[in-house]
Amino acid sequence: MREPEDRADRLHQRIWESLPWYVNRTLPPEAAAAVVEHAAVCDRCREEIETCERVAQAVAEAGELAPTPHPVRLTRLLRRIDEHEAGGGRAGIPALLARLRSLAAAAARPLPWMLAAQVAVLLLIGTLLFWPHQEPQFRTLSAPAAVAAEQLTLRVVFNQRATEEEIRRLLLSVRGEITGGPSPFGVYTVTVPASGDPLAKVLEHLRRTPAVELAERAVEPPREGG
Amino acid sequence: MAEDEGALIRRIAGKDKKAFEALYQLYYRRLFGYLVKVTRRVELVEEVLDDVMLAIWSGAHKFDGRSRPSTWIFGIAYHKAIKALARRRPEETGGHEDEAARIDHEEPESLMVRRELSGVVGKALASLPAEQRAVVELTYFYGRSYQEISAIVGCPVNTVKTRMFHARRKLRLLLPQLGVTSHAG
Repeated sequence: MREPEDRADRLHQRIWESLPWYVNRTLPPEAAAAVVEHAAVCDRCREEIETCERVAQAVAEAGELAPTPHPVRLTRLLRRIDEHEAGGGRAGIPALLARLRSLAAAAARPLPWMLAAQVAVLLLIGTLLFWPHQEPQFRTLSAPAAVAAEQLTLRVVFNQRATEEEIRRLLLSVRGEITGGPSPFGVYTVTVPASGDPLAKVLEHLRRTPAVELAERAVEPPREGG
Repeated sequence: MAEDEGALIRRIAGKDKKAFEALYQLYYRRLFGYLVKVTRRVELVEEVLDDVMLAIWSGAHKFDGRSRPSTWIFGIAYHKAIKALARRRPEETGGHEDEAARIDHEEPESLMVRRELSGVVGKALASLPAEQRAVVELTYFYGRSYQEISAIVGCPVNTVKTRMFHARRKLRLLLPQLGVTSHAG
């Protein structure tokens, strides 16, 4: 009779599948107890528990690569949220439609004029969405950069305690513009006009400022081929 | 802490920017680390992280409190990460040997990232598909139960177990240096 063997195989397979969560101690108590009971008589599961523990340890030791958030990053995100809110946002349209639907559903018998009003509002929204509009007056960092006169590219790391106002004043003083970054380690790409102050003077000015921890000229990538 | 985070999310649903900033500070490092682990593409992480935070801002009213706030947030992060990887799918060979080429060579700090990602475990995890890697990281690094992982990645518990099954099989072949050898189960 294979039935007891099949049942034993199924139990073993079920236990084996649950071992990673036995090792990370998140199994419910009765499931954990079942693992302990089965492992007492199953060499393969006992060895697999050790394997899972080694993998868990290795993954934990690999650590976590995570810098602290930079204030400029948050400022940029908040500006993106403002743009999202000001534009109505694509996400705003489904919510608006949901509200209109709930309004219609709330009425026992929607009056014809209410339905006509909803359709008019939807048509107005659709027109506003697809009507050609002017570019916003301010430019986000993700927008394509305007073609500028020759620029010099720097890599700058700002002091974590530097405020947005300090950074802004500093950049204005060198006619600099953040065009990239931050990298995971807080490195920004800043361009300054080549026709302005000599590069050495700009770098010296930046390095002397408490708001700057590091300022270097960017290294150009090697060209492929040739 | 979980209760405070839930309160923050409710305030964000009311468009409270201070609450949003507080949640950003609370979650930035956690999300950054998680997205690095799932995507293995450092250059993607900041972009995806911003998308996650924007999704939290837009969708905070949908958080019903039935799951932990971190489960809800990590769920958003998981799906944004998978979508970002799918947009770049032709480039993703799944091989860690391409990671050095993808990391910005101009950034000296990227050498640190490359070292971390190219360690034994980093290489092994990088070889897994993102969906399997996410399950392994959520289990062993973030200490989540399979039910929570199911909620985060939005698939049935059996699918979570299946992904872990395949991941364990692949890792077994790649981690002999750690003394990791095991039976097939």
